[in-house]
Amino acid sequence: MVLLNLLKYRLIIVKRVKPIPYGGVIIPIVSLITGILLSAIILWVLVAIPPLELFSSIAHSVLSPVVLKSFIMLSLIGLALVISFRGAVWNIGGEGQIMMGVLVSTYIALFTALGTMPIVSKIVMVILAAIAGALWAAIAGILRAYLGVDEVPITLLMNYIAYYIIDTLVNGPWKGKHTWGYIRTDEIPRASRFITIPGTTITVEAVILLIVVYIAAWYILNYTSLGLRIRILGSNPDLLKSAGINVPITIILALTISGAIAGIVGAIYLAGIIHRIPYPIEAQTANYGYTGILVAWLSMLDLRAVPIAAYIVGILEASSIRLARAAVMYIFMGTVLLTYTVTRIFSEYTIKFVKKM
Amino acid sequence: MASITQTNDLFSSRSQNRFGEPVVVLKNITKRFPGVVALDKVSLDIRKGEIHALLGENGAGKSTLVKILYGIYAPDEGEIIIEGKRVTINDPREAINLGIVMVSQTPQLIDSLTVAENIMLALNKYGIFTPISKAINYIKKVGEEIGIKIDPKIEVWRLTYTQKQLVEILRATLLGAKVLLLDEAITYLPLEEKKKFYKFIKTFADKGGSVVLITHKIYEAMDIADRITVLRLGRVIGTVNKKDVTIDDVRKMMFGEKSAEITYERLPSSKPEEKIILRVKDLWVKGDFGEYIVKGATLAVRAGEVVGIAGIAGNGQKELIEAIMGLRKVVKGKIFFENEEITNKGTAYVRRKGVGYIPDIPVRYGVSLDNTIEENIAIIPLFTGFIINWDKIRDLANKLINEYAITTPSSTTPVKFLSGGNIMKVLVSRELVAAKKLLIAYNPTRALDEVTAIKVRKIIKKKALEERVAVLFASEDLDEVFQLSDTILVMNSGKIVGRFEAEKARRGEIEKLMVM
Repeated sequence: MVLLNLLKYRLIIVKRVKPIPYGGVIIPIVSLITGILLSAIILWVLVAIPPLELFSSIAHSVLSPVVLKSFIMLSLIGLALVISFRGAVWNIGGEGQIMMGVLVSTYIALFTALGTMPIVSKIVMVILAAIAGALWAAIAGILRAYLGVDEVPITLLMNYIAYYIIDTLVNGPWKGKHTWGYIRTDEIPRASRFITIPGTTITVEAVILLIVVYIAAWYILNYTSLGLRIRILGSNPDLLKSAGINVPITIILALTISGAIAGIVGAIYLAGIIHRIPYPIEAQTANYGYTGILVAWLSMLDLRAVPIAAYIVGILEASSIRLARAAVMYIFMGTVLLTYTVTRIFSEYTIKFVKKM
Repeated sequence: MASITQTNDLFSSRSQNRFGEPVVVLKNITKRFPGVVALDKVSLDIRKGEIHALLGENGAGKSTLVKILYGIYAPDEGEIIIEGKRVTINDPREAINLGIVMVSQTPQLIDSLTVAENIMLALNKYGIFTPISKAINYIKKVGEEIGIKIDPKIEVWRLTYTQKQLVEILRATLLGAKVLLLDEAITYLPLEEKKKFYKFIKTFADKGGSVVLITHKIYEAMDIADRITVLRLGRVIGTVNKKDVTIDDVRKMMFGEKSAEITYERLPSSKPEEKIILRVKDLWVKGDFGEYIVKGATLAVRAGEVVGIAGIAGNGQKELIEAIMGLRKVVKGKIFFENEEITNKGTAYVRRKGVGYIPDIPVRYGVSLDNTIEENIAIIPLFTGFIINWDKIRDLANKLINEYAITTPSSTTPVKFLSGGNIMKVLVSRELVAAKKLLIAYNPTRALDEVTAIKVRKIIKKKALEERVAVLFASEDLDEVFQLSDTILVMNSGKIVGRFEAEKARRGEIEKLMVM
């Protein structure tokens, strides 16, 4: 492809034999920077947010305490999505799986005797939230594995089913009594709430869960045959078949593990952050299930990079909160994902100067 | 551009070859990949009207050279001169504009379109108002002349591999190719049909076109080429006129001292035991289009016995083997492994019995290109439990790398960076370890050069002789069937139509049954 002729040389673009060195680092950084610049222009032109104000709010957010909270949540959901994405199973339903985690944890904390039992309550909440998230994801997994239904629309639409189940409960049997007239659930008992680390926005339990889940995810993906099967599901499912591996089960497991981690995120969201379910939930959710998609892609589906990507996306989120405009986050998400896609394609090409004849 | 009318007299008899001016000259082409020099100062000229074979063993650099000529890779050093002018070729479109068209071993056609539509699509010079009947008539005519029937109005997915390759080659000539690059494009065709293509290629050359035939099969080069250039380890060993050399000369150029290892003598017979490992009884299996393609096949393989199925591609061998491996549903009939019925029990079940499997189209069904050698080994359930002991896998990988002389930077290199032959070695070596009792294979050596192929056959035979493993393989290469088998079965139209002891079998008789 000839781009332009410059005196004696001409510039050509050729496909690379191997992807660019350090592409795993360069691609996300380049796409992030261009994405933010693009967002700045859009916000400036359309919503009249001066770029300087935007950049200063980003700069101020780098060390803001809010980021830490987002960092934990986004790391966890990022891990969840990377696992299924590695198997080329596109779980867009993190949000719904989180909601099922929220729903189950709320039930344990508010409506069972366990809710007031310290420690036991939290353990049961986390375990059942993981199971709920896993089962919710498994529905899409079964449809994809055995009927060949595309998991993208299914997981996406199931997010809304999850929202509306919660809304129906909260504006019905679960409506709280001590809510000063608001429609929402009561707060969960103290025994069920995660313990905030003083001076921060995060909880002890959340930190422990992040460490445990991170190690487990790392181990599963790299040191078990299940992890290898999921990775090869992403690169060549035909090989799985001739190796005698049950492909449908592998698809379902990829989604189920992903859903289980998302369910745990739901438990943390309830017990560590919101403590009660607001109404309508879809208008007040933190949307970690969607933001997590950005985290997963920026990490280039590499578990090692997930925390870094989560921190960066956390900064963007905090600056969006600082500017008191939720839409800013969506613009960041959209532009960065777009520039990411473009830079990823360009990373496969190289520019060369060739002497003209 | 060669118009359709111009090609009408394409099939005149081949005149005495008069090679003209060089059409393509490559000068000192060098290409390095990370860790290897794929091409080292390669110089070559392709003349007008000649069929020029580019011959070399696996990983010799043939494909790299052709990809440079076709604009897929850019050379690090060197010049390409076409019809006296120095050029840079940045992508295949530029190559096509210069009259260079490649046909590769994998057909590049759109499955859901008809043959005629596919051809029309490639020819933007036709304009959007050209009636499709023009293409239809041309395809019919050439198909008849070659002797391969194609209905131009059917969708491409219904075609056999041979028919697809014919469509590819027709398309290339219609694109106005002056230089036709055939990158193993006819290597994998059944022998009978390959011969039909030879005629077509020769006529193309007679009309002043040049053909570069990239192959690792000496016979293919000797059958049809005017000149042969041999590449070894990225260097040109020499260019010779076919008339002046013998097969042995070319072999020596290609393999050096290793050429002494090449032999087509039968490998020592293995004495089968009484015990039957695999028994197939009156098997009926459907093909991809829902029609029966295996129609009542019956066979048995004993411990220590190598059974080779000879047959022309498409007579049900592939489906028979897939059904035995549990990859295709058995509609009627039974399969027994050591007297236990395994019909429709699934691939995992069959493999767990100690069955190794070398599938057709290895890069799709045999390995995952993006994954490392180690990962491609560990994916077979036999080699690992739920928790993968990577140290153990690494040891096994390195053992196979040494034993089979697999050229790779390390055992953690993604398979896609290996040459085709080395990829095949990864697959074959892995499956030979998995084959504790039975090895099932389809064209086990087809991507391998002669030296490696014979080495692999010897290893398979050794497995049968020493470890008493039963082997059932199907091959389109009759030489392979004769060299490796203890028992030869002939498959035709979905049935086993003949059974011979390899020692007493006569080639003519088997060939007759194959085409009957």
